[in-house]
Amino acid sequence: MKAASIDLEARLIERTVDQRNEVIARAEERARRILQVAEAECERIRAESDEQILNIVGSELRAIRDRIVGKAEIEGRKMLMLARERALSDVFEEAEKSLKEIAEWRDERVNYGEVLTKMLVEAISAMGGDEFIVSANERDLSYLKKQIGEIKDRMKEFDNVSILLDEKPIEAIGGVIVRNRDGTKTYHNTLEGRLLKARSRIEAEVARILGVI
Amino acid sequence: MERVLDIGERLQKLLEDAEREAERNVAEAQKRADEMISRAKEEAETRRHRAQRGDGIEDLTRGEEEKAKEEAAKILDGYRVKAEAIKKVSSARLEEALKLVLREVLPR
Repeated sequence: MKAASIDLEARLIERTVDQRNEVIARAEERARRILQVAEAECERIRAESDEQILNIVGSELRAIRDRIVGKAEIEGRKMLMLARERALSDVFEEAEKSLKEIAEWRDERVNYGEVLTKMLVEAISAMGGDEFIVSANERDLSYLKKQIGEIKDRMKEFDNVSILLDEKPIEAIGGVIVRNRDGTKTYHNTLEGRLLKARSRIEAEVARILGVI
Repeated sequence: MERVLDIGERLQKLLEDAEREAERNVAEAQKRADEMISRAKEEAETRRHRAQRGDGIEDLTRGEEEKAKEEAAKILDGYRVKAEAIKKVSSARLEEALKLVLREVLPR
């Protein structure tokens, strides 16, 4: 065999093998792309299906979310409300302690005798009439007994007011409970009663001062 | 010369075989792709039917529960922070509030 012929043969084989490899590679690429497109299509189908299922069970899923998140919202609000309540109660409890100190004449900044007298005058003015029975705790009763003359002097503007002190002491931090003679009218003017009324009146203002609103 | 022709025929056959193999490969891929899509459609259909019956949605409900629990934990954390802030009221504010209460309670 001549060298030229061998060379031709070799080149022919080489070219054909190249062509063959190219055909196979092209086919592999096509196959790969077909599978890739199919995979993307499957993904699209799954996503579409998920979407449809979500629509179908959406209300159920929303209910699950609402139940769990709603419960947390309620718990959270309750937590916040209790913290606010606690902060407010601390102030009013502290106020009650201060009132006890005042009523026991331990707070030198406040003249409790004047406070008590004003509470009595306030009750009598509010009730109207001329005969009153006044109840107070033991300490206040003792003070009122001593000062009754002076108190009556301060009430000269009311004509012929008769004040009778009830000997039976009441349980109270301080202040008075005033009844008219026939017991048809009663005016509670104790410190705890006033504190309670003040709480309902100024609680929002206290919360604002504390910065808990 | 005969030898070259013989080789030429064999190479031609080699190419024809390659073409056939390539077509077969592509056809197989197409078949697999069709099967994949068909299976995905069937599964999607089955899931849809099950969902309509309220069946087989455990994964979704579990997933939603997990998501909601995470959201709930964040919400509670937010409230906890606010509640803690409320507990740390300054003594100046407490004092001011106390003065207001006593002013309101004691007769003027």
